[in-house]
Amino acid sequence: MIFPARYVVLTLSALLLVALSRPALCNGSRIDKLYHPYVQPLEHEFEFRSLDEKNASVAPGDRTKARLGYGQAVSDNWFAEAYLIGEKNDDRDFHIQSFEVEGLRQLTEQGEYAADAGLLFDVESKFDGDLTELSSALLLEKEWGRWSGTANLFGIYEFGRDVNDEFETAFNLQGRYRLNRHFEPAIEFYKAQNTFGIGPVFLGSYSLGHARKLRWEAGVVLGLDNDTPDRTIRTLVEFEF
Amino acid sequence: MNRFRKIYRLALALFGMISSMAAQAGRPVFLIEIRNHLFEPEQVVIPANTRVKLVIYNRDPTPEEFESYEMNREKVIMGQHKTVIFVGPLTAGDYPFFGEFHPATALGKLVVE
Repeated sequence: MIFPARYVVLTLSALLLVALSRPALCNGSRIDKLYHPYVQPLEHEFEFRSLDEKNASVAPGDRTKARLGYGQAVSDNWFAEAYLIGEKNDDRDFHIQSFEVEGLRQLTEQGEYAADAGLLFDVESKFDGDLTELSSALLLEKEWGRWSGTANLFGIYEFGRDVNDEFETAFNLQGRYRLNRHFEPAIEFYKAQNTFGIGPVFLGSYSLGHARKLRWEAGVVLGLDNDTPDRTIRTLVEFEF
Repeated sequence: MNRFRKIYRLALALFGMISSMAAQAGRPVFLIEIRNHLFEPEQVVIPANTRVKLVIYNRDPTPEEFESYEMNREKVIMGQHKTVIFVGPLTAGDYPFFGEFHPATALGKLVVE
């Protein structure tokens, strides 16, 4: 069985974007959720996720970021989602700051090849400024018995009057143990220009009957350098239907 | 110069990964049908430590979702369509699966031996 040529081209394109990206200043931590390279046809979801950063030494100090999104499968292998993003920091009360639209393309069937692959495309733009961020990511997942490893390799381009146009890269990694459907311990690692962190995360899901499901994630990521928030508490709740 | 070296190493690693992905041998195939919100057969015996391919035909007009936490698989099958689910290698044991849209009736298991 040959790995389809179009998937090789898409994968190479995404990796090339990541490889050619050059180090640059970036605005804030890249700690967020890990994306998995799977799409379920017919799936709809509401998602709420938050990041609470404790920054002893990084401007603008402590920060809380929250996003509310709605997503749905638009075909057998494409999933689209849109978010409103709000932020509160030491300088400003909570306000709706930006919106984000993303599309996830599943490239391979789960378990078909040595690793499962997908691509993520994302646009985020600020309401209260001129800053837009385009990103694409290669999503990889591999399972070893009850262990699953997920890697997200991002290439990110920021532009607008409020920022120096720049490329940056980010690499997120998760190792997860499928203990049971309600509770799965995991460890996550984040590396980007201004992010270097690691920490424990816990995940789980509850069936609410007839293809309705509640998924949750919660964890603490600790900064490993002076540029990364000392600790980031991340949470996610997702209602699938 | 270091930058080009890094890109070269990344390209080599990528080539290795894709070669490995392409080197998939034929796998045993097992057929399962969904009729009247029941899996037929309800029990499928597959070899241990082997990657297998489940071909699932949904003969019902409505969609069904094949789900198994034990196998780490979840897949929607539209009505009157088929899908392929790759599983394994699994160690010996029972791996239950069910239809998420009709969990009271659509029940089955893989017996790995």
